[in-house]
Amino acid sequence: MPEAFKDYVKNKFRKPAPLKGLRVLEVCTLLFGPAGPSFLAEMGAEVIKIELPPLGDVTRSLNPFGWFYKEQGPAFMHINPNKYYMALDLHIDLGQQIFKELAAKSDIVEFNLRPGVTSRWNVGYDEIREVNPRIIYIEKNGFGQWGRYAAENRPSNDGAAQALAGYAWISSFPNRPPLKQSVWVCDVFGALMGEVAVLSALHHRNKTGKGQYLEMSQSENIMRAMGWVWPYQQLTGKGAEPAGNRDQCICPADTFLCKDDKFAALAAPAPDEFRGLCTAMGKPVLADDARFADHTTRLQDENAFAILKIIADWARTKTADEIETLGKEHGFAATRLHNARDENEDPHRRERDFVKEIDDPMYGKYVEHELPVMMSKTPPKIKWTVRPVGFDNEFIMAKILGKTQSEINELYRYGVLGKWKDMQGRRPPPDWDQKSGVILRR
Amino acid sequence: MKELEKTKQTEWAERIRSLDDPATASKKPEALDDLVVLDLSSRSMAGCFCSSLLAELGAETIRIEPPGGDIVRTYSPNGIMHKETGLAYLQEGRNKYHVTLNLETEEGREMLKSLAGQADILIETYPAGTMDVWGIGYDELCKINPRLIFASLTAFGQFGPESGRSQYDYDNVSQARSGIQYATGEILPEGKTFDEMPHAVPTKAGPWIAWATSGAFAAVGILAALFHRTMTGEGQAIDVATPEAYERFNDYGLHWYGDQGVINERFGNLDACLWLYGFYPTQDGGVFLGGLRLEMWKALVDMLGKWDEWGADEWTTLAPFTKKDWQLKYQAMINPLTSQYTSEELTAKSIDYAKSGRLAPITPVVAEIVPPSKTMQDENWQERGIFTPVQDPIYGSIVCAQAQWKATETPPRTKWVCRPVGYDNGFVYLKYLGYGPVRLKELDEKGVI
Repeated sequence: MPEAFKDYVKNKFRKPAPLKGLRVLEVCTLLFGPAGPSFLAEMGAEVIKIELPPLGDVTRSLNPFGWFYKEQGPAFMHINPNKYYMALDLHIDLGQQIFKELAAKSDIVEFNLRPGVTSRWNVGYDEIREVNPRIIYIEKNGFGQWGRYAAENRPSNDGAAQALAGYAWISSFPNRPPLKQSVWVCDVFGALMGEVAVLSALHHRNKTGKGQYLEMSQSENIMRAMGWVWPYQQLTGKGAEPAGNRDQCICPADTFLCKDDKFAALAAPAPDEFRGLCTAMGKPVLADDARFADHTTRLQDENAFAILKIIADWARTKTADEIETLGKEHGFAATRLHNARDENEDPHRRERDFVKEIDDPMYGKYVEHELPVMMSKTPPKIKWTVRPVGFDNEFIMAKILGKTQSEINELYRYGVLGKWKDMQGRRPPPDWDQKSGVILRR
Repeated sequence: MKELEKTKQTEWAERIRSLDDPATASKKPEALDDLVVLDLSSRSMAGCFCSSLLAELGAETIRIEPPGGDIVRTYSPNGIMHKETGLAYLQEGRNKYHVTLNLETEEGREMLKSLAGQADILIETYPAGTMDVWGIGYDELCKINPRLIFASLTAFGQFGPESGRSQYDYDNVSQARSGIQYATGEILPEGKTFDEMPHAVPTKAGPWIAWATSGAFAAVGILAALFHRTMTGEGQAIDVATPEAYERFNDYGLHWYGDQGVINERFGNLDACLWLYGFYPTQDGGVFLGGLRLEMWKALVDMLGKWDEWGADEWTTLAPFTKKDWQLKYQAMINPLTSQYTSEELTAKSIDYAKSGRLAPITPVVAEIVPPSKTMQDENWQERGIFTPVQDPIYGSIVCAQAQWKATETPPRTKWVCRPVGYDNGFVYLKYLGYGPVRLKELDEKGVI
């Protein structure tokens, strides 16, 4: 282990977070919007999640087959840690004014609304730039701000993006219907790419003092991740087609059904890996077979199908664990298929603190993912989970804008600030003691 | 009023486009043009994707391959080569300078140290420990250059009980280890076996999404480390494990099992958390149908002519529809109805419904599930610069996805798609090591470059 990561987990809280000192305003719902600022929050930025009172983010209602955690949507919790929760009505002049006062003291703002809505709310890029020329301003939505789909004001969501990008088409087995992913991949990958955009803009700002405006489309970001598909279609004139679990560009690389009716995935394209696999199968001569002589030859469809058939027949005689072990011994990549139980129980994930217990003042102890980026000098860390709609209003108003309680009361009276509706996911959990998690107690 | 709104909308779109149209990208500054990146990726497109993102933002990115080139150059469907380069690398060789360097030789490692002394960022994907054994791991290089940001993208990470495994990182294996492949795929009908239905199994995504996710997380880490370095002057090491990076996309499976002991199982083209939300068959393919509000779901039922028969009038909440048995029941009722139409007809019906349906302007989201060949022809994406061919002096006119986000000041851009193996040895080694042709010839003969 490199010295740099010695006692990494033990010393996590002796080190600063990388984005210390940055303030982010988020006006986002669902997943594509809020996931991005969460990455920044986990890296130490002060992220203020602004919701519309009293219902807030729709994700608070999402649940797998009716399961809520202490009334809260589990996906909402996963997507929104480490934030401060504010409820501000941006339909109202005074709400827009408060937003601008906050934006004047912020570094980054993030929206995910239909094209032009920020401008109608008088908090568009031009208005915010006027109060803060250093602002980095990103809008994320289905189709961006211009172009024919944006002009039609088309709605979008992750499933639509998987469909329109061609992503689903190439993710099924051949001659089977296109397959939707079980995760909201265009949302979260897009959110991640959005932060590459934001953080690169931050570096530019550090050099020049200039902020900027960024726009990110739900479909366009995932097209960037589809690799060989585009030059393949251009150069061969053919459309890219699905191949099931076979990696079309790497051979052998596939998922196999094993003796115990479980699955194992393996990959062995490099000469040492392929030879290792052939040896593990007890057929070392295959490594010298002309059909499999080098990677390019092996990739030709008929050769690829031939070697994959040989491996599939062999895999059916071994358990998934045996194949993983043979991969370790013979130097090719192999794993049994992991599921949610492995995610929870695997000691490797735990010892890396990638899977960890959160000790939250409002929701108690529960299991969560750390940001999957370990940084030797500035470890990212998840500390707390979500809060009810408008929960931190008082703290934010006092800390950032210096408002007195009577001024804050007035904002409530005009409906500018709001609190949660008395319903599932918006209000505090049923076992809340009326004080835990409150930052500014009066 | 509607007209006025329309005009305002058009003005907005034109205003933003005038600021961020990628067609004007080359006239603008580059966010990272003050940085030098070394990319030592081996066998892994995660590292290449990461360095591409930085190179698209203007970083001078030096791709270091072993003599003869890295195996990623051979990754290609059916083994197709374009000017000796696999089609996948035509995506991720972009904007990089390509040099060869034999890290198995002492002299090669000394050269790497010199490069690292002058670089800002280093990206590598060797199994953990490899770089340390060579004496060019972070612990060594940070002594030469304390400002260096050193990112490792691997299958098991730099520490933890499995980190000693000397296996390389491959996308399909990382997808299998993420927990996501397990939960994705067609449902195996009761009484059937995998041997009978080999397609009803845990199914990975077609694209290299685990690699891309690992690369993008690493890029975010690198840029955050860069911010820290700007503030403090100190560099650091970054550790991204590809299966973890992709697993992070799994938004409730970990917690669900942790709290309830439930394993998130395959649910085909439906979504455990959402209704109306799924893929449905049509005469000529399929569509995505979405409507996360009760009215949108009712609008679909009305559009399919089942308002009375299914009793949509009586429905007051969407909640019961997300239950597993209800989802399966209604899916079976919807499938034969959508199958009567082509995807285009169904899309048109939803647009008509928005105008004259009972619940107009409310209408369900209908999106055709298109093959990527149709995506590439779609004028919307073309107009937005995604598929503008790159005019490469060596590889010709190449379509690779770009302009993945738009920016008013420092947009990403692609200037060239790739370079042959060792193409930039002359330029890079002269610029950073002062080596001219005589010295390079010696090194070549010794097998160092």
